[in-house]
Amino acid sequence: MVKQKQAVDQHLGEWLSGFVDGELTQQERQRVTLHCEVCDACREDLAKLRVLRERISTAHLSEVGEDKWRETMNDFGVHTPRRIGWLMLIAGLLAIAGIGLVGFLFSDEIHIGMKLILIAIYGGLATLLYSVLRQRLIERKTDKYKDVEI
Amino acid sequence: MKNHNMRQQLVQLGNGAHALATQMLGNAEDATDAVHDVFVRLLRKPDAYDVSKGPLKPWFLRVLRNHCIDLIRQRRPGHSAVEELSDPGPGPQAALEIAQRDQGLQLALAKLSAGQRQIIVLRDYMDLSYAEIATALEIAPGTVMSRLHRARLALREELTRHG
Repeated sequence: MVKQKQAVDQHLGEWLSGFVDGELTQQERQRVTLHCEVCDACREDLAKLRVLRERISTAHLSEVGEDKWRETMNDFGVHTPRRIGWLMLIAGLLAIAGIGLVGFLFSDEIHIGMKLILIAIYGGLATLLYSVLRQRLIERKTDKYKDVEI
Repeated sequence: MKNHNMRQQLVQLGNGAHALATQMLGNAEDATDAVHDVFVRLLRKPDAYDVSKGPLKPWFLRVLRNHCIDLIRQRRPGHSAVEELSDPGPGPQAALEIAQRDQGLQLALAKLSAGQRQIIVLRDYMDLSYAEIATALEIAPGTVMSRLHRARLALREELTRHG
């Protein structure tokens, strides 16, 4: 009876928070448990602290989704190397094409008529490719539905 | 730490970090910018984080907190974070729903001191251990429990007052 009275007289205060958070030692936890068995005020406080913690942990204190942060990472780390990669690839292909074109134009083994025909075919294909790419790029910039997921 | 792992950890930390920055700056947009700034700074210089000094989470939050403090210092005098927090701000339906659901909590949090808001967000929203909170807030580990308890009591009182 005396022990109970002593326990009730000394309320646990911050230990209740430590108990709820699982930050107390085994001995301290036992003390809290024993105290709460005889102290209505601390038991009630403990229950209120649990409710409060639950309320905060399930609240939406940030309305920004993980996608936003992933996007930030991608913007920073992926786009730049990717652009450099594409530029290097295109530069290499253009160099090879240039060397091939010079060799083709100055070759004595191919008849001039055949050269003109081949130039017309490849020139036409290149022009078509360019126009399609240009159109796609313009649409990409102005398409307001590009981010809509179906 | 490998860059890929760091990126993944940062993505997971984003929302909690944003909540902390919002509580400090009182404005969701400023908080987004602040988190973004610290992300970019860390990604540019990943060596700034020394693994031997402990986990990334509390270290990152400390950097973010210091950045927010710098931003607050740069602001004009008389700027009130509390006023902005009570305003759900412009936004779509989602923002409205969040504001309605958690407005009471947001208002109550806004009434607390900056230190109390931070410690509550770090523990109850981000689930940091006391040791991690001490690192993030640059305070003695032994003081975390008492500060947190006082902050919780203050929050509970505010919630009771505002319903």
